[in-house]
Amino acid sequence: MKRRALLGGLAGAAALAAAGCGSGKDSGSGGKTEVTIWQQKFTDQEDAWYKKAVAAYNAAQDKVKVVHQIVPADAWDQKMKAAQAAGKAPDVFTLNYNKVQGFARTSQIQALDGVIAADKWSGLQDSVVGSITYKGKKYGYPMLVEPSAVLYYRKDLFAKAGLDPEKPPASWAELIDYGKKLTTKQVSGFSTAGNQIDMGWSTWGLQWNAAGHLPISDDWSQPRATDPAYKQLLQAYQDLYKQGVMPKQPLAAYADATPFGQGKAAMMACGSWAASVLLSDFPKVVGNVAAAPMPSFDGDATKPTATLGGWTWVIDGKSTKAQAAADFIAYVLAGDPALLVDYFKTTKFSKYSPRTAVADTISSDPAAKENPWAQTIQDKVVKYAKPEPTYDWSISLAFGKAIEKALQGKDIDTALKEADAEIKDIIAKNNLAGQGTTS
Amino acid sequence: MTTTAGAATSVAAPGTREVSGARSRRRRHGDTKVAFVMLAPLVVLLAIFVIWPLLHAVYISFFTWSFYASSEFVGLDNYVNVLTDQAFLASVLRGLGFAAMVVPAQLVIAFAFANLVKSFSGRMAGLLKVTIYVPAVISEVIASIIFTIIYAYRGGILNWALSLVGRDDTAWLGETGTALPAIAVPAIWIGMGIASLIMLAGLLDIPEAYYEVASLDGAGWWAKMVHITLPLMKNIFLYLLVTGFAGSLQFLVVPLVMTNGGPLESTTLPNLFIFRHFTNDLYAGYPIAAALLLFLVLGSVSAVIFRLVRSEKAVDG
Repeated sequence: MKRRALLGGLAGAAALAAAGCGSGKDSGSGGKTEVTIWQQKFTDQEDAWYKKAVAAYNAAQDKVKVVHQIVPADAWDQKMKAAQAAGKAPDVFTLNYNKVQGFARTSQIQALDGVIAADKWSGLQDSVVGSITYKGKKYGYPMLVEPSAVLYYRKDLFAKAGLDPEKPPASWAELIDYGKKLTTKQVSGFSTAGNQIDMGWSTWGLQWNAAGHLPISDDWSQPRATDPAYKQLLQAYQDLYKQGVMPKQPLAAYADATPFGQGKAAMMACGSWAASVLLSDFPKVVGNVAAAPMPSFDGDATKPTATLGGWTWVIDGKSTKAQAAADFIAYVLAGDPALLVDYFKTTKFSKYSPRTAVADTISSDPAAKENPWAQTIQDKVVKYAKPEPTYDWSISLAFGKAIEKALQGKDIDTALKEADAEIKDIIAKNNLAGQGTTS
Repeated sequence: MTTTAGAATSVAAPGTREVSGARSRRRRHGDTKVAFVMLAPLVVLLAIFVIWPLLHAVYISFFTWSFYASSEFVGLDNYVNVLTDQAFLASVLRGLGFAAMVVPAQLVIAFAFANLVKSFSGRMAGLLKVTIYVPAVISEVIASIIFTIIYAYRGGILNWALSLVGRDDTAWLGETGTALPAIAVPAIWIGMGIASLIMLAGLLDIPEAYYEVASLDGAGWWAKMVHITLPLMKNIFLYLLVTGFAGSLQFLVVPLVMTNGGPLESTTLPNLFIFRHFTNDLYAGYPIAAALLLFLVLGSVSAVIFRLVRSEKAVDG
């Protein structure tokens, strides 16, 4: 009897465990359809805006309840994979442009054409729409664009080193020369990406600049990393490291402008988002900071030095509430521009809207002057920037690895050849040939 | 106990012996059932959380598999891709090198520390035990952050200390030559607490009488160490070698937090390699095949260690 009871208990426990593992999606709360949104952790100000946007939508209608969750960036991939494996991925989530096509190809996200009305798509920049389009269908609604590489420099330290604060380096030779003059025991002359992961994406614009293309053919059938034009890019990083202009160990991740704000570097390559961090967290240094485009390898300032990255909102491939999720996306991103303008104000105008209605409102807003570098970035960086590549991340990583090899003093030709071979291998193993439409 | 029972049986009459034998068989049979019932919870949990996921992983390693798109059978392609990937093989070799740095250092230091604790008594021994165990209860993330601060290129404690003796700053985590040994240090530190306590338990388990008799025979410290302590600690060493090697090969958090596998993948240990593929790849077949192959590597390493250091039943029972 006791044994039977014990076995019964065990069977019950096993059943409960199994049920716990496979529980389905929520079915709503208080008669409302529940839609979940996961947002990657950004700055506190941005996170507050997301909360506000969700609250505004929940107050504006009574059929859908949106539940918002902030996920730390370094835990995002693990958490998302675990949720996908359990069939509990959020209905809506934020996604980089460069991942949209891969996610669409593997059905991780749904096409939005059928659930967001055609008129909501008008007034969006064509190049950005291209980034979220796969096989003729749109898979994400663009929220913002931000150039990946801008040169920020300290005018006061320039003057101290005998350099003209109004004359940023226009070539890589100048950048290295200035960097040497600015380097002291406590301050690095130039801070930039120092590992293959950060270099894999932060140099996309410079890859365009050096060779006029990315290290894979447009249709993704052939590697193009051995183009001799790439040598100058790898050489520049090798010189920066060898000559002690950039720190031997990265001061922080590429996207983090904190060390520059703290005065640990005299020049810094970072995205436009750095402006928001400097204005919010380091107001005392703002008056001494200037921004300029990254130098062009041949001195032609009209060539791209950055890519336009940024965030788009997508709907999970398995979401059964696609229409409710799409209505929420359309309300926030394609509705009243005032809600989004508030976001760009919150982020100190350090990001740019791909939607004409929003961009026009922002440019006429007197508060935009609060960001002293916005106009320079808009006119000299954004204007010539390219969209982010949409191929698999492993290809970017292979090229980032080549730059890191050069940085660590390895032979540049060999590094490029190895990157070429690795990209060729990735193309073959992932059957990528012919999948690319744009690069 | 067994001997006494056996002697009692040997003097009993033949008829009594048959009855007793049948009773004994019945008891044994009953004992087996109870044993099965008692094992059942563990077996059920093992089946749910280990055996089934393992079998499922083997099954899906033959597919291009994602959580969304329909899977396509690709046979052994994922395994071929992993085995022909120099980066995977390099990560396994690197893992073995890392384990070769961590495990011997851990064993030597833990053995020395356990001997030190044994030589003390009372409060001092307690204090030492608590001190050595602290790293074991600190999370790997915290330990990694602490050591990252120590190794920082600008303003790091280590470079500051070395600057006092006139040494230039070193990028401990930024150069391929120093990064792996640099992350081996926190790995040794983290595992030291448990290794030391197990060593101490092993040392205390050796009967004092052996040492007293050896002393009477005129054996010195070294002779006692070589002829008594080390032979009787063999199984402890074997256990710590196997678990240490398996644990070191599987380090993930320390390289992830401290270097993210860099510079130039010099700290990309096998689990970090698989983890990166799992989180970045659009399909999960490759990392699953890699994980199963790593499982084989771990099994083989453990088997080799068992073979080299044959375990024996303790002489003193």
